[in-house]
Amino acid sequence: MRVIIAEDLALLRDGLTRLLRDNGIEVVAAVADGESLVREVLARKPDLAVVDIRLPPGYRDEGLRAALELRRRVPATAVLVISQYVEQTYAQELLADRGGGVGYLLKDRVMHVADFLEAVRRVADGGTALDPEVVAQLFARRRHTGPLERLTPREREVLGLMAEGRSNAGIAEALVLTIGAVEKHVQSILSKLDLLQSPGDHRRVLAVLAYLQSED
Amino acid sequence: MSPLVATLRDPVTYRRLTYLLVGMPLGLIWFVALITAWSMCLGLIVTPLVIPLLFVIAFMTRGFAAVEAELARALLGVDPRAPALGAPVHGPAGFWARLRALFGADFWRAQAFLWLRWFVGFPVGVAMLSLLGAALGMLFAPMWFPFVPGGAHVGLWQAHKLLESLALVPLGAVLLLLTIALANPLGAAFRPIAAALLRGPEDQADQAEPNRQTSTLAATTRTPPSRRALSAHAVASSALAALTIVIWAVTSRGYFWPIWVVLPLAAALAIHAWRVELGERPALVKRFRGSCSLATTAGVVTVLWLFTFAVWAITGHGYFWPVWTLLGLGTIVISQSVAVLMSSPRNAEMAERIEQLQSTRAGAVNVQESELRRIERDLHDGAQARLVALGMSLGMAEQKLAEDPKRAGELLAEARAGAEQALRELRDLARGIHPPVLADRGLEAALSALANSTPMHVSLSVDVPERPKPPVESAAYFVAAEALANAAKHARADWLDIRIARIGHRLEVEIRDDGMGGADANGSGLTGLRRRVEALDGTLTVTSPPGGPTTVYAELPCA
Repeated sequence: MRVIIAEDLALLRDGLTRLLRDNGIEVVAAVADGESLVREVLARKPDLAVVDIRLPPGYRDEGLRAALELRRRVPATAVLVISQYVEQTYAQELLADRGGGVGYLLKDRVMHVADFLEAVRRVADGGTALDPEVVAQLFARRRHTGPLERLTPREREVLGLMAEGRSNAGIAEALVLTIGAVEKHVQSILSKLDLLQSPGDHRRVLAVLAYLQSED
Repeated sequence: MSPLVATLRDPVTYRRLTYLLVGMPLGLIWFVALITAWSMCLGLIVTPLVIPLLFVIAFMTRGFAAVEAELARALLGVDPRAPALGAPVHGPAGFWARLRALFGADFWRAQAFLWLRWFVGFPVGVAMLSLLGAALGMLFAPMWFPFVPGGAHVGLWQAHKLLESLALVPLGAVLLLLTIALANPLGAAFRPIAAALLRGPEDQADQAEPNRQTSTLAATTRTPPSRRALSAHAVASSALAALTIVIWAVTSRGYFWPIWVVLPLAAALAIHAWRVELGERPALVKRFRGSCSLATTAGVVTVLWLFTFAVWAITGHGYFWPVWTLLGLGTIVISQSVAVLMSSPRNAEMAERIEQLQSTRAGAVNVQESELRRIERDLHDGAQARLVALGMSLGMAEQKLAEDPKRAGELLAEARAGAEQALRELRDLARGIHPPVLADRGLEAALSALANSTPMHVSLSVDVPERPKPPVESAAYFVAAEALANAAKHARADWLDIRIARIGHRLEVEIRDDGMGGADANGSGLTGLRRRVEALDGTLTVTSPPGGPTTVYAELPCA
């Protein structure tokens, strides 16, 4: 797997590069701002770009803008956005084009190396990785409405992991369940929430997120 | 029957009855004194004598209102914590500021109450006294009917004999009891009016007022308080005008005397409207070389002259005496214009502005100082301490690495958990200083993120087509954030309504909840916010009567 990193803080840029390289992932370039990111991605066509939201010159959301530009111009490159903060607004902007291969994680998640690498691979393969914090925000938003309350606590856990973008196998591993048990939970959730079983993990994420974001 | 008995046994009823009866002499005294003073004022308007007279009116009004406030306290049980009128005016220094304080909102409220005491209180007092007199007369009819030629009179019926007069006794008793009972609801009606009108100056009146109704319906939102006051004034004036016209129509229909009520009412309303207009459209003040007092004078003088002109026109034209008024009023405007034209920084306007800037700047510095101290403390107790613990765990893990790899692994996991906790705390701290999403995406995104993080049901409406400057934007954000935190923490509210709208050169922020109210407008959180808003030349109003609901309203200029 070939990866480009865009992070303005040298300490974190080098740390990320080392972490990925130590785990057998090729880092083809590590840049410090959004413009060079777009340039390097167009030149080297990596599988994945790992992008910090806050980049020079404005130190606001230049990274996010660069990531959105990449998704438009080079859809083949997956994008994993990392940040010190997660905002549901940004998640919506990233997921707006409905394509797969997108991730949005807190920088803290890097500390759980195995989970982080799993998310990196999943996004590079066209899947989704959404930070549990974003999912928690979405859940909080829907707390006043009925259908979520019909779910058992276990089903709510499974729904959260589905929204994060995990596959059934990933959910099974995280909750220490068999894949069969997870499949049963997923079926039950989809029918309780009136969602259609959609092919592909990313489609499933979109359906779940659309449900959680809907207003009523 | 039992409610009537309860009313009659309640000492409150007798206090209210006293209050109503006292209204008769007091209403008369206030009326005579005020009508004399104001007529003299109108008569002397073109002479300098009017100025001492105005001072006399100001102090007279305060004195009368103080008497009324004491009565309301003693007899109606109006909240004794409410600041009294009649207290010396503590205001900003400077002649104009003092003068403005002297004729502040409290003065006009007191005026309104004193006139009300005449127009409503006096007739009510007379009616109560007549009813009591009639009742007592009937009650004791058997004693006095022989001494009065023609016997005891009750309407068309006359009592000439003892038996006939005895029949009047139960009638008198019933009327007496009913009259006394009637005093209870009538007196109660005066309670909220007295509480609302006999308040002290505005800056003392921030504290909760149990009887002031806060608007709970959406209809009044977006309307600033000054507008609401103006429309209330307009409604009251029209009602009074309509009432006099109706009285004229059903009575003589001769000379159209209501014009003498309508004209002064219209003049007062026009002056009020001009003040509100000036407050809302700073561009208007700029035409008067930026002098608010000159703009005010110009408007007031115009209205007054139109008033005298109307008087001249109504009173049969003739000799055009308003020319003298015009001359007098014109002199005032011209001399004030000259003063403004030749203004130096020592000018009263400027001095006042400097004073205001000094106090708001001091407030802003204080807020910043205490904010910085809070941040330092949070860093010291939170992230710094966690990093020390993290370093210790790592050092111990390093030691154990060779001899006890399992223990070393545990220590490393502990260290990682500590690092995560430190990150979370730093993130919360940074968000409290300035949420990144606010800078990146503006108020709506930042507030909806905030709304999502609370268990309350929040309805959010942001109508800000053009983003205001960052300090204004973050002040608006923190007003909403603080109101939200208070509603959740203290008021135990279930829902919250946040509205932000840009109207002309102002950003209006209004947050209402359904909580239990009783917020302390002088608590540290709201005081900090107020200073922050005032440093931007804005205003912050908190209305939070015990029992709720709480409304926080901020207006921020954003040119």
